[in-house]
Amino acid sequence: MVAVGQVKSGLRARTRFSRVTIYRIVALVVIIALWEGAGASGLFFRGVIPSSVFVTAALLRLLGDPVFWGHFGVTLFEIVTGFAIGSALGMLGGLGIGMNRYAGQVFEPVAEYLASTPKVVFLPILLILFGIGVGSKISLGAISCFFPLALSIAAAVRNINPMYLRVGQSLNLTLTQRVKMIYLPALTPAIATGLRLGFGIATVGCLMSEIKLSNKGLGHAAMQAYGRFDIPTMLALLIVIFATAALGNSLIGRLIRLPGPTNRRVTHVPR
Amino acid sequence: MSPSPALRISRVSKHFETGKGRVTAVDDVSLDIMQGEFISIIGPSGCGKSTLMNMVGGLLTEYDGDILLDGKKVSGCQPEIGMVFQEESTFPWRTALENVAFPLEAAGLTRDKRIARARDLLDLVGLSGFENHYPAELSGGMRQRIAIARTLAFEPRILLMDEPFAALDEQTRLLLGDKVVQIQNKLRQTTLLITHNISEAVQLSDRVLIMTFRPGRIKRVIEIDLPRPRSSEMMGSEAFGRYVAEIWQDLREEASKGLHDAEAAARQG
Ligand SMILES: Nc1ncnc2c1ncn2[C@@H]1O[C@H](COP(=O)(O)OP(=O)(O)O)[C@@H](O)[C@H]1O
Ligand SMILES: [Mg+2]
Repeated sequence: MVAVGQVKSGLRARTRFSRVTIYRIVALVVIIALWEGAGASGLFFRGVIPSSVFVTAALLRLLGDPVFWGHFGVTLFEIVTGFAIGSALGMLGGLGIGMNRYAGQVFEPVAEYLASTPKVVFLPILLILFGIGVGSKISLGAISCFFPLALSIAAAVRNINPMYLRVGQSLNLTLTQRVKMIYLPALTPAIATGLRLGFGIATVGCLMSEIKLSNKGLGHAAMQAYGRFDIPTMLALLIVIFATAALGNSLIGRLIRLPGPTNRRVTHVPR
Repeated sequence: MSPSPALRISRVSKHFETGKGRVTAVDDVSLDIMQGEFISIIGPSGCGKSTLMNMVGGLLTEYDGDILLDGKKVSGCQPEIGMVFQEESTFPWRTALENVAFPLEAAGLTRDKRIARARDLLDLVGLSGFENHYPAELSGGMRQRIAIARTLAFEPRILLMDEPFAALDEQTRLLLGDKVVQIQNKLRQTTLLITHNISEAVQLSDRVLIMTFRPGRIKRVIEIDLPRPRSSEMMGSEAFGRYVAEIWQDLREEASKGLHDAEAAARQG
């Protein structure tokens, strides 16, 4: 009986998967058709909406070009480093603000104002501090993802079921034990969401900084292509950037294993 | 010479300052609990039972009077005292076994030792076979038994339980009461049980304390002189019924005060 159930649910899962895939392919075809239609309609400047054939050709040419891979490497390094620094500090800051009432009262309003400020206003300062190289990009990426992560972790800390903390208190746990055995596992879902959000924001921060002022990176390459009015190459670069961000996001989602039963792949068969 | 008590509660009072003024939650409570004794505290909602337990357990540290453990004043939570809370408190990210092993992990036991010990305890509360289930996959009664096993795991000499079965249906509660009797027979722990339930109190206790409705004082102490072990089957007996009636007599008055209060508060809005 169990075996039959598993086969059935397996079949259902597979049919559902293929249906989703079909819809995705249809959506992609529709978008490409609209794009081609808009390009051919003559409503826009010639060349602003190049045929997807040209974009694909540009993409393939880029993928074979070592100069492109140089830019790609620089940007990837900036994003990953900025994200790592910003999210590590953001998590620590969020735990601090959330766990300590006074730290919360002092820093939270400030953090909230700063979180809603566009981080690009810091760019001139960062350029002076770190130069136009990777330093200013990494720091803007880090600052961008620090605030939303710190605020969402702090809110999640305050939402932890107080019973968990009382159990910890009644067992006389040390601060390290409380963080390791109660706060972190209780916060894992919030941390996972926060990190995925933070990765996207760090990516925006790094690229923003590259586009404004830089001599390397995908943002720089895209601006160069724009300057040459090489729209297919520019679009191909944007596709690469988009794919990188999406890939990073889903990679983080996969790497963080949520504790507890809801996330387990195999459901439990009761004995 | 009589033996000295394991736990002495001496003239303990607790006031809370609230927006609406000063609330006296516990008023001049004194009680000596002997090693191995099972005591139930019964009283209407809001009479200060949980507050008393939190003071004994060391979660509330500011109060008047003294709480002495083996003659020494209690400050903060003690490893000799284990608490089971009224609210759901299992960790949803841990399996039943990992939940029970939690305090052992904190105490630094090796993995093998804590797993062996946690298995024994799950067995004691009748949950062997459910080691790898998460709390979300178990019933409320099973989760509460995990919480009890988790507290028993570090072998506290004194066990404080705050309405551990309050959220359960009557049948489950009766069966769990039997389980507690079995565990009590085996471990002979000094236990303070807070409950709403009169027959539960009579079945389990050596003494039953009845508390008054606000401010929480001890109204009366009743010794339960029934033979042990007491399973839920003896609830039909005449002697059992007499104790239940006697306690209800005293409790009724306090409970109706509580009801009047609640009605008055509702009328005032
Ligand atoms: N932290 C607190 N602040 C203010 N009042 C409290 C607090 N804790 C309990 N009280 C009050 O003390 C009284 C006793 O509460 P409690 O000990 O929870 O009662 P019980 O467990 O018997 O239902 C109640 O009137 C409650 O409102
Ligand atoms: Mg209570």
